[in-house]
Amino acid sequence: MMDKLKLAVFELTDCGGCALNMLFLYEKLFDLLEFYEITEFHMATSLSEGNHYDVALVTGTVSTQRDLNLLKEARNHSEYLIALGTCATHGSVQASVELPIREKLKAVYGDGGNPMRALDSKPVVEYVAVDFALPGCPYDKEEVYQVLIDIAKGIEPVRKDYPVCLECKLNEYECVLVKKGLPCLGPITYGGCKAVCVRSGLGCIGCRGPLPGEVNPASEYEILKSLGYDDEYIIRKFKTFARWEP
Amino acid sequence: MIIEMREFTRVEGNGKAEIVIEDGEVKDVRLQIIEGPRFFELLTLGRHYYDVPDLEARICAICYLSHSVASVLGIERAFGVEVPEEITLLRELGLIGEFLESHALHLYLLVAPDVFGYPDAIRMATKHGELVKEGLALKAFGNRIRVMIGGREIHGINVKPGGFGRYPTVEELEEIERESEALLRLAKRSVRLFAQSDPYGAQAKHFVATDGYLWGEKLISDEEGAFHYTERIEEHSLVYSFAKQSRYKGEAFFVGALPRLLLKSEMLTPTARRLFEEHREKLETGYVSYNNLAQAIELVYSLEKANEIAKTLLDRGIEGENVPVEPREGEGIGYVEAPRGVLIHHYRIDASGKIAYSNIITPTALNHAMIEASLLEEARKLYGEADERAMIGRLEETVRAFDPCISCSVHLVKL
Repeated sequence: MMDKLKLAVFELTDCGGCALNMLFLYEKLFDLLEFYEITEFHMATSLSEGNHYDVALVTGTVSTQRDLNLLKEARNHSEYLIALGTCATHGSVQASVELPIREKLKAVYGDGGNPMRALDSKPVVEYVAVDFALPGCPYDKEEVYQVLIDIAKGIEPVRKDYPVCLECKLNEYECVLVKKGLPCLGPITYGGCKAVCVRSGLGCIGCRGPLPGEVNPASEYEILKSLGYDDEYIIRKFKTFARWEP
Repeated sequence: MIIEMREFTRVEGNGKAEIVIEDGEVKDVRLQIIEGPRFFELLTLGRHYYDVPDLEARICAICYLSHSVASVLGIERAFGVEVPEEITLLRELGLIGEFLESHALHLYLLVAPDVFGYPDAIRMATKHGELVKEGLALKAFGNRIRVMIGGREIHGINVKPGGFGRYPTVEELEEIERESEALLRLAKRSVRLFAQSDPYGAQAKHFVATDGYLWGEKLISDEEGAFHYTERIEEHSLVYSFAKQSRYKGEAFFVGALPRLLLKSEMLTPTARRLFEEHREKLETGYVSYNNLAQAIELVYSLEKANEIAKTLLDRGIEGENVPVEPREGEGIGYVEAPRGVLIHHYRIDASGKIAYSNIITPTALNHAMIEASLLEEARKLYGEADERAMIGRLEETVRAFDPCISCSVHLVKL
């Protein structure tokens, strides 16, 4: 039996969901443990025994000096680093407030400010090179499972390259953009979530970030304009999860 | 001298504490929330109300539905929207799913390893596999409810002002009815397990909860009369923490499962109520560590209540109609019982439906002073008696009893 790979989960500033989602793998988490040994995962274990990791999952944005130190630590000590979740890949909602950090802190903590050092929230990919970026707020847990299994088997995991619409059509959901006039970002958003929001009859809010390549955000913009949404609304909607692009 | 506790493990988010020793005595304890600020109130300012609950959900993964529902309630109250019983019951069902998911996570995966002397549930599973599986079964059921009501396990967008994107089917409700009954046995066992633990931490003097069991129009406390948070709760910034600290009439207070039981036991379901009475004496001491036992009793409550709601809805049938929402200028507060205690979403909205003011206070922020008081009490008891490692271990358990959710605690704004 070959040695198990050392797996680490590092949490920077976020809602905790990307770490929690690993625990939501349930039995599959135990399947992963056939290949991996968890040596750092502070939401789940009080053990912390690694200084070298085969695979590091980093969740959250860099929002403090502590986050930045931890990220560099993770990068320096891991073979394969995955930016996990939209905070880590695109900045997500907490990075979308477009004020300088000084003003944001003043708004929250008053004129005295807060003496603790905060940085303007940015995704992990802004600071270090990553080996794989898996977006989603939260990411799809089946997807991270597959990625980790691929790595364990020595296969380079494949990044999804299609919009949410593809999985929406495969599931035969009714198009909420055309049929209901709801603001749906499905046509320009990274697929892989199984079109979960459209399943509820609601529009995609773009939580996996914009799909690069052969997509047409200009056309999406025109459609939303024609449905009566104003410029400011559309621009904010586009940038909510992805003020930064990897 | 300062004893530094390293970052807490088996809690949600990033926090640590310092114990200040002077003249051989524990002088002070500082709870440091080092999770970066996330500026949610700023994020929602100027946004159209319809999109806001989806954004607010992202404050916390463990209790996203509590945030969605509190946000929706705040918005509906600002517009004067009333929803029918069907929608109310479904929202309650969602919150119950969240209690189950969150309490099972806390009790089985985060606290039980302390009880059995393991660093985590994964390693505990080699010897206590059945117990871990039971916890996961309860948690998974809670999550199935969250998918049904909220749209997905984490950060669903199905809860909307005026109703839902999608309503559950008869088959789904039948499953809730069936499963909630089948799992009740496990929840009762968890009460027996957590009833055995010794008291630690401080004894809380003030308890605060919402006036209904799962949410409310106002808050209640151990004193007379319901009140709005602005009347008795004040927040202030700390120099050593990104989270602000709240006080009830100037004093530390406690929100969470234990305060809910103590203030609202008459609203419990039959078995939960019987279990509460059985352990009442213990719970009434107010030791914060009994929050674990209170959560176990709430697992029983949640399953019984889920069963009751599913039955009611199956009897009446689901209409699946949303209430129309017309924006108008207004102000509203949503009070919800998140798994770890009172959650407040307060908005002012302009005539075009855009958010003009937003204030959010989360349970862990409300408990901040109480956590410090408990650490202080426990550190004083143990310093010089136990070795430093044992003391720090127990202090971590004391923090854990609050089931703190640190990510959520860092964006309390008064604008």
